[in-house]
Amino acid sequence: MTAQRIDLPQGTLDLLILRTLGLQPQHGWAISERIQQISSDVLRVQQGSLYPALHRLERRGWIKARWGTSDNNRRAKYYELTKSGRRQLEAEKVAWDKLTAAVAQVLGTA
Amino acid sequence: MLRDLWFRVRALFWRRSVETELDEELRFHLERQVEKYVQNGLSREESQQRARVEFGGVELAKEECRDARGVRYLESLWQDLRFGLRMLRKSPGFTATAVVALAVGIGVNTTVFTAFDAIALRPRQVKDPDHLVGVYRTAQGESYGAFSYPDYIYYRDHTKTLSDLAMWSGETNVTTPDLSVASTENLPRVAGALGFHMPQLLKGGVQRLTCIFVSGNYFQLLGAQPAAGRLFLPEDDQLGAPPVAVLSGNFWQTQLHSNPDIVGATIRLDHVAFTIVGVTPVDYLGTLSRMPVLWAPTAARPLLGDGTRETLTNRNVPSGIVYGHLKAGISLPDAEAEWKVLAAQLRAGYPDVERNTGVRIISERTFGEIDSEAWPIVAATMGAVALLLLIACANVASLLLGRAATRRREIGVRLSLGAGRRRLLQQLLIESTLIALLAGAVGLPLASWTLHLLVVKITSAIPSYWGAIALQVSPDIRIFGYTVLISLLTGVAFGLTPALQALRTDVNSALKDSGSMLGERLSKSRLRDLLIVAQVAACLVLLINSTLLLRGSERALHVDPGFDSKHLAHLSLEMNGPQTGYSQERLFQLKGQLMDEVGSLPGVIAVTQASRAPISGGNRFVPVGIDNAEPPSNNGSEDKRPTAGYSYVLPNYFKTLGIPIVEGRTFTKQEADTEAPIVVISEATARRFWRGQNPLGKRLVIGSVKGPAPYPGETAPYSPGSEVIGVVRDAHSLFLGKVDESYLYLPLSQTRHWTSMLLVRTEDAASGLLPTFRSAVRRVDPNWFVVVAPLDWMVSLDPYFVISRIGGILSSIVGVLGLILACLGVYGVVGYSVVQRTHEIGIRMALGARPPQVLGLVLRECTRPTLLGTAIGIALSAAISRLLSALLFGLNPMDAISFAGVSLLLAAVALFAGWLPARRAMRVDPLVALRYE
Repeated sequence: MTAQRIDLPQGTLDLLILRTLGLQPQHGWAISERIQQISSDVLRVQQGSLYPALHRLERRGWIKARWGTSDNNRRAKYYELTKSGRRQLEAEKVAWDKLTAAVAQVLGTA
Repeated sequence: MLRDLWFRVRALFWRRSVETELDEELRFHLERQVEKYVQNGLSREESQQRARVEFGGVELAKEECRDARGVRYLESLWQDLRFGLRMLRKSPGFTATAVVALAVGIGVNTTVFTAFDAIALRPRQVKDPDHLVGVYRTAQGESYGAFSYPDYIYYRDHTKTLSDLAMWSGETNVTTPDLSVASTENLPRVAGALGFHMPQLLKGGVQRLTCIFVSGNYFQLLGAQPAAGRLFLPEDDQLGAPPVAVLSGNFWQTQLHSNPDIVGATIRLDHVAFTIVGVTPVDYLGTLSRMPVLWAPTAARPLLGDGTRETLTNRNVPSGIVYGHLKAGISLPDAEAEWKVLAAQLRAGYPDVERNTGVRIISERTFGEIDSEAWPIVAATMGAVALLLLIACANVASLLLGRAATRRREIGVRLSLGAGRRRLLQQLLIESTLIALLAGAVGLPLASWTLHLLVVKITSAIPSYWGAIALQVSPDIRIFGYTVLISLLTGVAFGLTPALQALRTDVNSALKDSGSMLGERLSKSRLRDLLIVAQVAACLVLLINSTLLLRGSERALHVDPGFDSKHLAHLSLEMNGPQTGYSQERLFQLKGQLMDEVGSLPGVIAVTQASRAPISGGNRFVPVGIDNAEPPSNNGSEDKRPTAGYSYVLPNYFKTLGIPIVEGRTFTKQEADTEAPIVVISEATARRFWRGQNPLGKRLVIGSVKGPAPYPGETAPYSPGSEVIGVVRDAHSLFLGKVDESYLYLPLSQTRHWTSMLLVRTEDAASGLLPTFRSAVRRVDPNWFVVVAPLDWMVSLDPYFVISRIGGILSSIVGVLGLILACLGVYGVVGYSVVQRTHEIGIRMALGARPPQVLGLVLRECTRPTLLGTAIGIALSAAISRLLSALLFGLNPMDAISFAGVSLLLAAVALFAGWLPARRAMRVDPLVALRYE
């Protein structure tokens, strides 16, 4: 909680959600926890914008939802990657890598 | 894509479950977050608060989720739709008027479009209609003539441009003892309602059916498929082939209950055994306009009806119309060029055949062709109904405008509460689209009903020789699309104006409800006044002329035709040689017996014969000159002498019909029997040739040596010098509407000259004796067919009467619809002005204006345009009614009742429509009106 918080750049939330779901199906809360955890609390998901993003991804068909039981025995909505979601994840990863490499290059030479 | 749609649709229609799921999902999230903080050692209360703060606005998140699901737009549409329906339900008066106005416009447009489509646009239901052509023979004064059978064979065997050349020959009545027909004596009720009386068929022991002759390849040309059995093949159409016939599907279905055993059965037609080989589909018309009961091959023609062997061999006997398909790559002019060459060869080969002149080939793709003469009428009709829709739209727009004015406050409030302008526009558009769709839903059944009424009922009531049209007029999917499209376009068109106007509303002024209405009023009112003027004028023209026509046709029923039509019956013998199998002598003998039999009936005063009965069609004319004028030489140059109507009559004709002899005498029996060169003329004829002189003893040159036959099979009268022996009073024997300009009565020989009719003078109304005539006919010959009608019924078959009646009825229907619309327009204008001027009226009343003064003030909005429209309407009607004078049967084209009565009525109705909303102005409470400020 003391860690420095970085707001997510536009469009990266989708990539992070896809990436998180690439590991295993998760419900919304677990996704935000997971992102926070993996990024060592640097990246913090604005919880209010997480759900619209999930619904948007579902509409695009990259993830799909089903109701399941959570670890504390509660009914929870689980999201998982679809085939096209997995392709999208790959594509976005490549694009992201290119982008960061390019940005790093620019910053390095400047 | 599909998935996306499903997602949205699910979100829209299973909204509740989607919403619950969203609630549950977010609740779960919050609870997990709280649990986490509790585990980290915070108190439950603190954890809850923290979680909620961290999450931000739950409702906002939900809203964003809905957005993300892409249902916001659809949802708002759904909301607006329900809101619109609620608003429409809240003001049922407005909704009903708007829907009715539009429904009338849409209904009438659909009707006219469908009729136009059925006649001129829709291809015939035949094989390859695009290349189907009809060929007609042209001669002087004859542009759509028929070919003789041998000529058809010649063209069929020689043409290289048309394929499958087939022929269709006219309708004949045949008799059969083997098929029973349900009674057709009951008139269609509509015919009675319209004032048409159909002659009655007095049936004998056998049935009479209509039969059409077609060549053996006719059905192949059209690609027709039988409903049972088979249709004709070329083999059936050979002379000497076993006689076969095809039955119409409709007759098979309604009279024979679709009994399949009819195929292969033998029936006797005019005493010849025919085998029924098949049945056409129901409603099958081929290239015809009316459905026959039977189809027979052309080769069978000499066996049936009035056909003789001559019909198939004589090149002078017109036989039928020829159809064919243009071969690939051949254009109409190509084909016509080839046929002109063929026609020239025929002329050269048979120089004695006078009627071989030219050919005309036209496309038969559609049911009817609209030629250049008919186009202005068609265009005017289409224009008129399009205008009707336009007026309907304009009226609804003005209603909406008035409504928008009353809703300014509502819209202002919504705008100030932050409603998006786009959303408001959408909502207003949805409301007007709803009205339009409702109107479309009402208009479609309305259209199909009017079509049924107009085409099926009325055309079936029109006398058959006017060509009853069996069009297929049920509105199809295209017409439905057309209606819906009109409704929607209308909705958007008239919804947009008030919607945009409402949106220009300045929030502040709308809330205060004053605003600069004055400016708006100035710009809008001119156009709206003009609309009222045009509407009132147009429907006044329609109503005045329809009243004239109806009053004129009513008058026709009471016109004195110059003979005693009330006490005369007309008996038409509908059989001749081949049908009875009787010889000519026997026929004359039977007819003499019938005359005696009918003449001895109680209630019958006299019986006579003539070649035609007055005012019952079959008019014949012959060129006439006075004795010293040279008859034209027979070199084919046109006969320039005046023409006169004529009929052959027995000596007692004048006495029987009640036509007084003014001068001289009638024929003697001997003069009639020898058809002596003498003539009785009408007074007008005497005046025309010998004004101021005594016509008796003068001579008339009637016809010429080789005058063209007036009808096939008849010879034209010819007399180089007939002495005038008598003058009789003028009568209306050619047209009911006017006295004959000249009419000749020629002597009729009872033993040499066959006429198919008797005229019977009765003591009381002739209609009461019809059953007696039936039994008299039976006694003479049980098989004889006689069509009988009192002569005054024939009035209803007079072409001018028919035009006048139907024209009057149609234009009064359109006129009344127009009147309804015009009233809506007046209602809208006055209603709008009351709303707009509430404030002003309040001030006036506060300053002491009294209710009647206020009423006058508001009514002035509609009186001026209404009166102007009435004046213009009267002027236009006066111009038009002059052209109708032939249809008015002597009614003054400036008939006061029609003009003054209808104008007053219309103005009164229009002012009443204005008075209804104007009453509201009187009820304005000055306090309330002023407090608005």
